[in-house]
Amino acid sequence: MADEQDAKKRRKATEAAGKIGGMVRAAIGGTIKAKQEGKKLAYAFISSSYDEIIRAMDIVPVWTENYAGICGVKRDVNRFLERAESLGLSRSLCTYALCGIGFDQMREELGEMPPNSPWGGQARPDMMLSSGQILCDPRNKWYQASQQFMPDVPIYNVGLPWPMYEDDVDVDDVADYYIKHIVKELRGLIAFLEKQTGKKMDYDRLSGIVALAEHTWDLIWETYEMRRATPTPMDTGDAMNTMVPMVFMMGTQEAYDFYLALKAELQDKIDRKEGVIEDEKYRLLWGGGLPSWFALNDFNYFNSKGAVFPAETTYRLVEPIERLNIPNTSDPVERLAWRWLRYWTYWYDKARKRPGSEPDVERLIQYIEDYKIDGIVMHEAFSCRTWHLGLIWQLNQLKKIYRPIPVLSLGKPARRENPSLILESDIIDMSSYSEVETRSKIDAFIETLESLKSNQIA
Amino acid sequence: MSNETINGRGLAEAERLYRDYGIRAKKLKEQGQKSIAYVCALVPLEIIAAAGFIPIRIRGDVNEPITKGDIDLETIACPYARSCFDNAVKGRYSFCDGLAIPHSCDSTARTYSVWRYVLNFPYSHFINTPHTANTSALEFFRADLKNFLKSLGRFARSEITDAKLARYVELYNENRKKVMALYALRKQDPPLISGAEMVKALVAGLSLPVEEASDLYDQVREEILNRKDAAIKKLPRIMVVGSAIDNHDFMQLIEESGANVVVDDLCIGTREFGPPTAVTDDPMDGIADRYLNRINCPRTYREKKEGETLEDDLAARFGDAGKLAKEYAVDGVILYMYKYCDPFGFEIPVRKTWFESLGLPVLYIEDEYSAGTTGSLRTRIQAFLEVIE
Ligand code: SF4
Ligand code: SF4
Repeated sequence: MADEQDAKKRRKATEAAGKIGGMVRAAIGGTIKAKQEGKKLAYAFISSSYDEIIRAMDIVPVWTENYAGICGVKRDVNRFLERAESLGLSRSLCTYALCGIGFDQMREELGEMPPNSPWGGQARPDMMLSSGQILCDPRNKWYQASQQFMPDVPIYNVGLPWPMYEDDVDVDDVADYYIKHIVKELRGLIAFLEKQTGKKMDYDRLSGIVALAEHTWDLIWETYEMRRATPTPMDTGDAMNTMVPMVFMMGTQEAYDFYLALKAELQDKIDRKEGVIEDEKYRLLWGGGLPSWFALNDFNYFNSKGAVFPAETTYRLVEPIERLNIPNTSDPVERLAWRWLRYWTYWYDKARKRPGSEPDVERLIQYIEDYKIDGIVMHEAFSCRTWHLGLIWQLNQLKKIYRPIPVLSLGKPARRENPSLILESDIIDMSSYSEVETRSKIDAFIETLESLKSNQIA
Repeated sequence: MSNETINGRGLAEAERLYRDYGIRAKKLKEQGQKSIAYVCALVPLEIIAAAGFIPIRIRGDVNEPITKGDIDLETIACPYARSCFDNAVKGRYSFCDGLAIPHSCDSTARTYSVWRYVLNFPYSHFINTPHTANTSALEFFRADLKNFLKSLGRFARSEITDAKLARYVELYNENRKKVMALYALRKQDPPLISGAEMVKALVAGLSLPVEEASDLYDQVREEILNRKDAAIKKLPRIMVVGSAIDNHDFMQLIEESGANVVVDDLCIGTREFGPPTAVTDDPMDGIADRYLNRINCPRTYREKKEGETLEDDLAARFGDAGKLAKEYAVDGVILYMYKYCDPFGFEIPVRKTWFESLGLPVLYIEDEYSAGTTGSLRTRIQAFLEVIE
């Protein structure tokens, strides 16, 4: 999600990643233009399984998490966070949400975009699509809070659950009532959109878009798997950009074409044995956490020390479609429901086979093996519980059931030794970040990797 | 503090069970009685009890520094949940035979695996309470509760019949009625029972078989009605609204600062004990309805209906709390929230506006779930009370 400047600075960044800044800018500008043209805009959340439905109804999504991230990249969040705080919202809540709510309130009060809004600003929506799933509380509450300033903008809250991993319950035992509910929620969404737009859903078109999205899933998976090569042709620094079409443009031809080009580019790099860096010494896994959007340069810093990230768990929101075992159905809504359920429970069977394992841990093990990983880096962003709770435990468990692996946890120096010294980092709140401290932690970690390597050689 | 005086069977017993939490269940364990530990008001206790277990609500401890919990759990979890987890890791619930965690909020749902593995109970189960309240969600939830019932039945090696469920619906409803009868003692001015005493009694009951909890509440009520030396003075009447409070310290702090806490919208409090379970042909219908629709916790999304104004929406969401404020003739409201509590946090501005629209002054406090914050809170509460007076 970095702007072009940033991408250029990165060593051997893919050309594809370099295009992302322009694409995001065009997409955000596009929403403002669409609004002027009278198209219907919807605030939307990523990973809510409604991408294809929105596209099929010609609704223009305004990805509010994305816009907050952009403000982070642009280092222009403080005024929005402070506005949210002045409204009585605690600074300990999700900062994406705070930034979004602060922005909305400012725009509503001014009756126009706040001056110098990053990339033109976030357009006023005609509707808001909340996401009452098991994944994240803020996405269940954020738009409801925004409604205070936009009481005329209706909300539809799509509640999509998936079963937790349990010893005594198999996904197939409960799939029936999960699917039934998920399908109803999605049909409810369609009815809501039909009402808002005065237009009926074209189910053939929806099927076509679902099929296109699924081809894109497979294509992304194949493309990302190419990063197993040594030297790796693309690392996480790039993936934090190339995730944009996967997360915000699913179901569009543009997204598909983007990965087609990326795949060809990676193949070319592999053929020429061109890696992210010339002398690849350490292969790291980004094992969890959203990045600090204002500090993506840290990936370059890793690179400068001979470290690359051939894989990450963050924003890798696809699995090969065939392996999801989606039952045959001609109904695209049912298909979406099954894909949702199977995706979130994809690692369950694997976990069952290893005593003490758990789906997220199993995924780490798989990536460690497939991508020949030497160490794991995680980032603990203080304001997002969704992606950052359970990480420490996963690492502890990994050590227990697999093998110890060097770990760098960014964003929480010396916490346990001295609890008063908590200095955690964040996705967009820069006040929580110290470049000097982060980099000296990276240095120390690289030294650990180095000494492990020399011991192994010796 | 005179209103802390222990002068009889009910309050003294409540105090003992509150201080030595779980002692009764430990005793019963010697006779073969098993129990299930749980967190949050969203776990259907009727099901656990009908399966033959005592449900034991896991508590935090504001006086206990979190030491062991942090080894496996991030500090960005809600501090209340962290404290509960820390206590459990320290073995305070090791007498229990199982664990039930509901999908209440990110701090519990996203850490289910951590609880499950680290505490390593012979049984554990996650109850997938939907985030949205609509007809489809209710059907889903009902099916999920049936799944819980089946799984628990397997563990208990016994069939949980509808008759047993219906029996516990009745017992828990009775229990809730008794709690509300205790609340009623606070309607008069001055109230007959203090906020601190109330927390102790309610919490004590959450570690007992339901019939015994009901007895305890009866005894407390009787004692209160007969006590002569309560020495609770006429003071500003405060309502506390917020997340979960399971230690008496905060209420005591308010009361020491020169006010009476007369009612709340809290769990553990009216949010949890207020709504009964509807008696339905299939008891699961009433149970699902209660835990999804009737427990009015901000973690459950309630939509603004078409054509509703913002005011209508707020009235629908917070009307119950407003009614209580009126019934208990409240002079001011303290909005009390824990750091990192997203479900509550996003509602603070509207809740504040709502209570102010009723003409009630509001003090908003964001806390850490630690006795260490008492000093700074005292000053703020005193300043607030001065405004009220
Ligand atoms: S809590 Fe995390 S997942 Fe949820 S909206 Fe915020 S950043 Fe996104
Ligand atoms: S406030 Fe809601 S989520 Fe928190 S303990 Fe109470 S019922 Fe559970």
